[in-house]
Amino acid sequence: MPTSRMRIAIVSTYPPGTGSLNEYAYHFVRFLRQKAEIQEILLLVDELPSGQQYPPVEPPQPGKPATRVMPCWCFDSWRNLWRIWTVLRREKPDIVLFNVQFATFGSKKIAAFLGLLTPIWVHRRGLPTMVLLHNLMDTIDLAGVGLSKTIEPFIRFFGRLMTRLLLTVDLIAVTLPKYVDLLEQKYGAKNVLLIPHGAFEDVPFLAQNQGQESPMIMTFGKFGTYKKVELLIEAFQCLLAEGRTSLELVIAGTDNPNQQGYLASVQQQYAHVPGLHFIGYVPEDKVAALFQHATVVVFPYTSTTGSSGVLHQAGQYGKATVLPNIEDLAEVISEEGYTGKFFTPGDKHSLACAIAELLDNPTERYEIEQQNYLAATGLPIDDMVDWYLFHFRRVIDIRCRKRERSA
Amino acid sequence: MELVQECIDGAVVLKLSGRFDAYAAPAVEKFLKHVDNSVTPWVIIDLAHVNFIDSTGLATLAVGLKRCREHEGSLVLCAIQQPVRIIFELTRLDKVFVIRESVAEVIESRLLEKVGESETHAGI
Repeated sequence: MPTSRMRIAIVSTYPPGTGSLNEYAYHFVRFLRQKAEIQEILLLVDELPSGQQYPPVEPPQPGKPATRVMPCWCFDSWRNLWRIWTVLRREKPDIVLFNVQFATFGSKKIAAFLGLLTPIWVHRRGLPTMVLLHNLMDTIDLAGVGLSKTIEPFIRFFGRLMTRLLLTVDLIAVTLPKYVDLLEQKYGAKNVLLIPHGAFEDVPFLAQNQGQESPMIMTFGKFGTYKKVELLIEAFQCLLAEGRTSLELVIAGTDNPNQQGYLASVQQQYAHVPGLHFIGYVPEDKVAALFQHATVVVFPYTSTTGSSGVLHQAGQYGKATVLPNIEDLAEVISEEGYTGKFFTPGDKHSLACAIAELLDNPTERYEIEQQNYLAATGLPIDDMVDWYLFHFRRVIDIRCRKRERSA
Repeated sequence: MELVQECIDGAVVLKLSGRFDAYAAPAVEKFLKHVDNSVTPWVIIDLAHVNFIDSTGLATLAVGLKRCREHEGSLVLCAIQQPVRIIFELTRLDKVFVIRESVAEVIESRLLEKVGESETHAGI
């Protein structure tokens, strides 16, 4: 039975790739690299657009695991399963972790479905396999993400089928307790576990925006599907019309891979709005400054697909949040200890009012900032990585025992 | 939360009572940090009177377990109550920790192990 250091393969998006969950992968790997239990990390990432390359990996240091970035799959390709398996078969890691959600491998249904078969195939071919599943098809509001009523039953059917298939791997980790309950009760799962999201950074709490001259409203994410900025811009215009002319609205982030060109079209549509800035992709080393300058962080979501990485970031930088009053998000927030001002989805006046209340009431803003900070920093991702390592070791050991018995 | 520390047959026993949450975690973390690592640490945490644990509490115990294992020691949890057990099951950390019914059971099994070891040595 091996007690030696582990070689781990992680199938994920990764910066500077802009696919969803890239930031989670970045911080996960950052802390994984600090762990003595790891010998090598193989990052099986998506290929970047032509002309771009992943930055060179740091040379291995004594006691630190070597890390190799291996671009070997492509968003919306049908060949991802085979390409990922080819690398894994050659490299033979001790365990494979898939950091995924339902649309990780494609916006087109067949590509997304085939891609998600990869962990099942890898498991069937004998490699210990764990899936970190960031959302569940059962909890996604498909109408909210723009799917028609006609196609919805088919997507639900394939979503449930895929969920059942994914549950055949060694372990499935989810980030919300309600997901564990759902998978156990509805699917009879016995191999699901909760590992909370965890905070990316250890940031001191700074209530630095009290009395800021030009308050900054900020939103951050991958926009175009269920994250749409039009309502926020219209609410911002309402605030400007009230005479709050020093306000700034910063829209940070990129198009969702499924909605290329969305932000450019919105930027064009609202080019006349003063104080509105589209800053595009934010490199990792600029994220902290972006959050620290924000007075209020707004989540202009029409539905949600699970635990929000941006909410965790807003929390760890001690930010007050404005959130839509939609079921899944409200549950996530209360389960994870966060709070914020809520607005009625689709109502620009309600959103403007929620933002104005926070801007005008520094005491309330400070209380929300503090609560969000405590919620985000109670559980550092560093500790959560340790939980993964415990489970990796257990899965590897069980596999070894089975092999020994059958031999 | 209350913390009471005892030493029983070479084991450091920490008895906790009340809520084991983000507010209580630093005290337990401090205790686990200061367990004497110059000898093989053998820590027993008695959770008989803990009626609530949150993920910060779990993370604190997990860090303690990791530290004990790094020094080839052990951290055993005892007398977990049902509401707390549910949280361990939710995270499947119940499969990671050694969990026993009582402190006495741990001490007894450890003493039996020691007797077994000394008999083996005598045989050699």
